[in-house]
Order: sequence, then C-alpha cells, then structure tokens
Amino acid sequence: MPEYTLNVNNKNYKVDVDQQMPLLWVIRDFVGLKGTKFGCGISQCGACTIHLDGTPVRACRLPVTAAAGKKITTIEGISENIDHAVQKAWIEMQVPQCGYCQSGQIMSAVALLKNKPKPTDADIDAAMRGNLCRCGTYQRIRSAIHRAAELI
Amino acid sequence: MKFSSAIPRRKFLKIAAMSGTCLALGYVSVFGEEPKIVNLDLENGNAESELNPFIYIDTDGKITLLNHRPEMGQGTFEAIPMIIAEELDVDIANINIMPSPADRGKYGDQMVVGSQSIRRNYELMRRVGASAKEMLIIAAAGKWNIAAEKCYAENAMVINRSTGAKLSYGDLVADARKLKAPDNPTLKQAKDFKIIGKSLPRRDIPAKLNGDAQFGIDIEVPGMLYASIERSPVLLGKLISFDDTKAKAVTGVKYVLKTQREVFGQVRVGLAVIADNYWAALQGRKMLEVKWDNGDLETWTTQKIKDDYIDASRKPAEVFEQKGDFDKTFNDAPVKIEASYETPYQTHAPMEPMNAIVSVKKDTCEFWGSTQNPNGMKDFLSKKYKVPQDSVKINYTLMGGAFGRRSLTDVVEEAADLSKQTGTPVKVIWTREDDLTQGPFRACSLNVCRGAINKDGNLVSLEHKVICQDIRNQSGNNSKPTDGIAGGINTEYAIPNLRINGVLRKFYIPVSYWRSVYHSTNCFAHESFIDELAYAAKKDPIDFRLSLLKNHKRYTGVLQKVAEKSNWYSPRETDTGKGVAIVERSGAFVAMVAEVKRLQGKIVPTKIIAAIDCGTPVNPDIIRAQTEGCIVMGLTSTYKSGLTIDKGKVVEQNFNTYKMLRIEESPAIEVHVIESSEQPEGAGEPGLPTVAPALTNAIFELTKKRIRALPFKLEEL
Repeated sequence: MPEYTLNVNNKNYKVDVDQQMPLLWVIRDFVGLKGTKFGCGISQCGACTIHLDGTPVRACRLPVTAAAGKKITTIEGISENIDHAVQKAWIEMQVPQCGYCQSGQIMSAVALLKNKPKPTDADIDAAMRGNLCRCGTYQRIRSAIHRAAELI
Repeated sequence: MKFSSAIPRRKFLKIAAMSGTCLALGYVSVFGEEPKIVNLDLENGNAESELNPFIYIDTDGKITLLNHRPEMGQGTFEAIPMIIAEELDVDIANINIMPSPADRGKYGDQMVVGSQSIRRNYELMRRVGASAKEMLIIAAAGKWNIAAEKCYAENAMVINRSTGAKLSYGDLVADARKLKAPDNPTLKQAKDFKIIGKSLPRRDIPAKLNGDAQFGIDIEVPGMLYASIERSPVLLGKLISFDDTKAKAVTGVKYVLKTQREVFGQVRVGLAVIADNYWAALQGRKMLEVKWDNGDLETWTTQKIKDDYIDASRKPAEVFEQKGDFDKTFNDAPVKIEASYETPYQTHAPMEPMNAIVSVKKDTCEFWGSTQNPNGMKDFLSKKYKVPQDSVKINYTLMGGAFGRRSLTDVVEEAADLSKQTGTPVKVIWTREDDLTQGPFRACSLNVCRGAINKDGNLVSLEHKVICQDIRNQSGNNSKPTDGIAGGINTEYAIPNLRINGVLRKFYIPVSYWRSVYHSTNCFAHESFIDELAYAAKKDPIDFRLSLLKNHKRYTGVLQKVAEKSNWYSPRETDTGKGVAIVERSGAFVAMVAEVKRLQGKIVPTKIIAAIDCGTPVNPDIIRAQTEGCIVMGLTSTYKSGLTIDKGKVVEQNFNTYKMLRIEESPAIEVHVIESSEQPEGAGEPGLPTVAPALTNAIFELTKKRIRALPFKLEEL
C-alpha cells in the first residue's frame, strides 16, 4: 500500500493505507485522533467535519489522496486550552448534550466566523445546515455563534 | 401505570453498609486515556479514602464523587453529584466526578431509561451525602471530645460551634470511615439549598469541545479487530449460502464469520467481515455474495401493516381502564366524533452509530463501549459465557446519544460472539444504514378514538383504542397486550365515561423503547382528539382542557403558564395559528403551545413554548436543554421523517432519506421550568409527546385542516 505524509494540526504523520480510504478513517484509526466522528458515511451529517487548508470539508467521503500537500485541521487543533472564542461561547451557552456531533459543529462554526466575523442568522443557517444534531442543540448553537462573534 | 416515588429504606441501608470494602473493578475515564479529572486507583486500593461507595475523600482533602448513572447527553453527570454535594456540604466546583463501576450490589440498577435517574435517586443521593457528612461530624466531635450537636459542617469543613475551630474533611476521613453509617441522616430543608436548584454548568462539556471526550466508538484495545456485519435486509431472513472469496481478498480482512443477535426473543443472523481496520472490513463486506431465504417477508409493506391494523381495530380489544358506561353514553349523545390517527415506525438514530468491543476469554469477559445498561451487559456476558459476575469487567463510556437504543444487549452479543470465535477482542461498528434498517424501532400505531358531547356541550364519553406491537410481548402465542401500550393516554381528564383499550399485533419487525416510548404515539392521538372535541363543543382548546382538569393543580399550572407566555388569549396575528397539548410522562407535567405562520404561502412552525413541572428542578438549565432536545426530536418525527416498509425492508437507508430537522428549520423554543418543592421527576422525555399534537392543532387553527397521520409533509399543506 502506498505511504502518505499528512499534515494534521501542524504535525506530519506517515500513514500506509489504501488510496481510497477516506480521511475520516485515516485520521481516526491511523493518525489516532478520535475527535473527528463517524456519523453517516455519506456527507449528510457533518460529524466528520475537518478543515482542509482552512476550508470545512466532510472527511468521510474524501479519499486520503485528496489531502496530499494540504494542511488538515481537526477539532484537536482548534486551541491548546479550550480557549478559542467558539469553544468559550459553547461553554457559556452550555451547547452540548451528548456531545458527539459537536466536533463537527465547532469546525463548521470556526470556519464560518473566519469568513464572516459578524454572521447573520441566514449566514449561520447556510454554514451550519450540514451539521445534524439529534440532541437538538440548534438554538444554543445559534446563540453561541453570535456570542463567539462578540468574543473574537 | 404509576410508581411509588419513595426510595426503599432497605436499599439505602444496603448501599451505605457496603462502604468499607472496595471491590477491585476498573473503569474507563470518560475523559480519555489520560484522565483529566482524576484517576482513583480502585484496583490497587484507594480504600483508605472511601467513605461510602459514592464518596471518596483522601487525607489531603481531595473529594471525588462516583457517579453511577451513565451519561448520554441527559446531564446526570452533573446533576447526580450536585445532589450528593448539597447534603455533603462541599463546594461542587472543587470536587472531582468520575463514573462508578458497573456494580448492582453497590449502586443499585444503573440502567438509564425512562427519565428515572433523578426521580429514583434524589432521596437516595441526598442520604448518601448526608450520611457521610454525619460521619465526618461525629469524627470531629470525637477529636474535640464534644457532642456531635456542637458541630456543624460547611464547605468541606466541620466547625466547632463553641470555639470556631475547624477540621477539614481530609483530616477526618480516617476516623469517619470506621464509623457505622447512620440509618436516618438529617436532610436539609429546601430553603437551605446552595446547589440544588442552580443552573450550574455541566462539567462534561469542556471535554466535548476539543476531541477529548471518549465515546464507545473511540476506544481501542490492544490486538483488537474490527467487524462490519451484513444482515438480512428483511430482518428475519435465513442465511442460505455465501461466497466470501472476494471479501477475503481485500487487504486487511482476516475472517468472514457467521454471527447472530437476539432481539426480544427472535434470533437475527448476520455475516461478519473482520479486518485489522474498519475501512477494510467495510470494503470486504461490499464484496460478500450472500443468498438469503426471505420466505414471505418480502410481501410486507407499510400499506399491508396499515390494512392489518384497520382490520384488527374491529377485533375484541383488551380493556386497560374504564369508568362509567362508554357504549351507552356514546350511543345516546347528540354529538358524536370519531377519528383515527396513525404514526409510523421511528428510528433512534443516535449520532454515534451502535458499537461495542468485547473480549471473551476462558475465565473472563470484558466490555468497552457506550451503554445505557451496564448491569445488563454484565448479566448478559456472565450468563452467556458462564463466567462469574466478578470476572466480567464493564467499561462504560460517554454515549453519543441513545434515546433507548443503547439499553439492549444485541450489539454486545455480536461482538462477544465474534471475540469468542476469533480469540481476540472485536469491535463491532454498525453503519448508519445498519442502524436505520435493522432496528429495533419505535412501534407504529393506529389509534381509534370516539367521543361524545352532551346537549350541554360537555364531554361525557371517550374511548381510545390503541392498535400496535407491544415491546413487552413480541414473540410467542400470547395475544394479550400489556398496559404499556396505553402509555401517554391522559386519564386525568374528568370524563365520566371512559374506556382505554388496545389490540396487540405481532410482526417480524422488532420494536423497542424510544424516547418517551408509547407516549410519543398515543399523546399525538389523544391530544389531537381532545382538540377535535373542544372544537365540537365550541370551546377554546385551553379552556376546554382546564375545565376537565379543575382539580389538577399541576396540569392547570403548566397550562396557565403556556397560555400566558404564548399570549394565547390575545387575537391572533395575521396568518398565524396556535395549538396546545399536554402530557404527563415520568411524573412530570408538560404543556406546550406551538405557533405556525403562513409565510409566502408556506406553513412554517415559528415558535414552540413549553412549560414543564418536574417537581424540584435540580438543575433548571439541564431541564431546559432536555426539553429543547425533545422538541427538536419531536419535530423530526412529526413532519420530517418516519420509517416505511417496502418488500419487507426499511426503505430509509441513511440521512439522505431519513431526514432530520436541521438548524434552519429549528423554530424558536422557549422552555419555562415551573418552580416547585415537590419530589423531582423525570425530565429527559416529557417534552417530546406534546410536540406533534401541539403543532397539528396549531395547523388546524390556521388552516382548518386536521392532520391525523404522521409524518406529514409541511410543503403539502
């Protein structure tokens, strides 16, 4: 099997995997970072959202080859001490319940605020509609994104 | 259908008496392999700091509370320690919380279902804290050689009332743990609460923001293999033959093995592809060539089930409750109403797909994973592999949602069987397609309601007949349904002639507990029908309900609250409709008002206002969060998705066809938690059953179109 060098959260990892293997499983089972979650496998739920060169993408359908030479950021790379404005706002609004989808929610929210520092509700809808939450934390996610915009 | 809320005193004494010896049981920290909070070394003896099975205080004063309720999002990771800390008189911000071992002897049954954690443990947890505090006070009094009454406790210190001298709990634990736990510790007055009633932030939240939180699917065990399992698409098909040549040619695939799981008495077979990584297992599974004998199961469709239910509705029904004479009063009444309501199968779809790791060895079994039922896992493995309970180790983690699905042992059965066959630990991960198509599911139902209004405009007779499968009676020849299938039918309305009955149906499709269980289907029918009767009686829907609940303070309280908060009695804005519904679930009372608007020709749910009276609110913000969550889940099952059956299979395969509510569809939600000093009641489910009827009643007010089948399509209104 071919060997790939992946840059994840500014660190290089060498992985020896099938070229079709989606980044999700490479990151979880070969790089060993478990914060990126498996939810549906067909890019419908957003639990596996990561950043590829700063852009949010669904890792469950993206083959490992697509990441060659690009910078991957996962939930583990967002901050050292849970002190990114989005994380702080998530605590302030007590967003998570089970927490399983929240890695993906936060990755989408961080990317949104990078592009639109003061997002409207419509901006939030557009950026977050790809992230499902079965616990139903949407209202708190919306408030927390507005709050994070104030904190940045 | 009601439970006594008292904690048996015997149970408390048993638990208190067990303090002193610390069983050698391990655990997986919910905060990952490097526990960020605390690592109490139970295996190698931290018995010196054990004051009782829930409370550990070491000599330098570090306090650790063991939480015996698995966390699936419901917030008991914070709420249970809050109750202990209140009576123990410690600052909750300075204590550590860790999950307890799975041990029914020490902790009672730990299954988290039916919104029971707080209501069944409130008094017990208070006694656990208060009893430990009394032991610490007695120890201090002994050191000072004074009467215990001359001391009091505050913020992890015992204070001498006369001298003001202080001893920390850490200084006292060595003496205190030698004392007998008091049988009847004094509990605080509610007015003295410092912790209970406060919306304290949940301490499981930070680890859920940076990838640290460890769910079952995240666990790795040395030597572990991964399995993906192909199962009969018609749920109960028989495996005739298979060709695994191509599957085994996939790099990483090690084995292809038959396995099985039992769900409520019916054995369901599968063919597992086992590999050294999950992706390889999935690829191998796609290469399998399997022949199934589907028998006549392919003839089943949603329509066939519906026809069966309609037919069954005319058969004799089991009566669960009756008063007065329904038949006579119905026949004699001038205004008669009849209506039937349908609900579909539903899926739990927790965001974390089902998974389990099991290692079966000659004399031991070990489980790692997310479960609502740690004791059940232990019982299952102990019985199946003839291993004593003490040799079964249960490592339960945070759950990525559960909603009832994780109370069963079926996935652990598959993992254990494959571990036994391969001699290695095996991690089974279900795909989302497995989750949606294999079940078990929330039962679908037909509800047939009849009611009569007399000449004075009063509701005099009501019959509610439920036709559905019964979770508790799914196999065998017994045709009697249990009264569980009538859950959520309100028997508090003052209706002189009432009959609640049901007809049991049995199919190959497995059904199970789903958030609020039968309340989720029956309340839709019942509260829709009450609305129809209110209109027939020409009364306001809230006034109509209030008039039937004159002696019921708690229903009246929540109804009045939502009436006020929704401006119910004000004239409606243009193109706006409002609807109301109420329910009692797990001891809590909920009233809900849904508001819909016609915006650019389309009907849109714009706001949901709920009031919940669940007795003493231990942590009001968690109650609000649970109710918000119930509303979102309830909206999905009301107008987004249900499961349909065609050719014997579940049609919806993944989230592209089983559509769940997304953020832009989520209406404004307002939850009002009623102040109360009553016994705390369950909060994890009561917000769900009223969502569908409140919304469809609101749509009726606006459009005069009565929706009697779920899920409906908003765009088709």
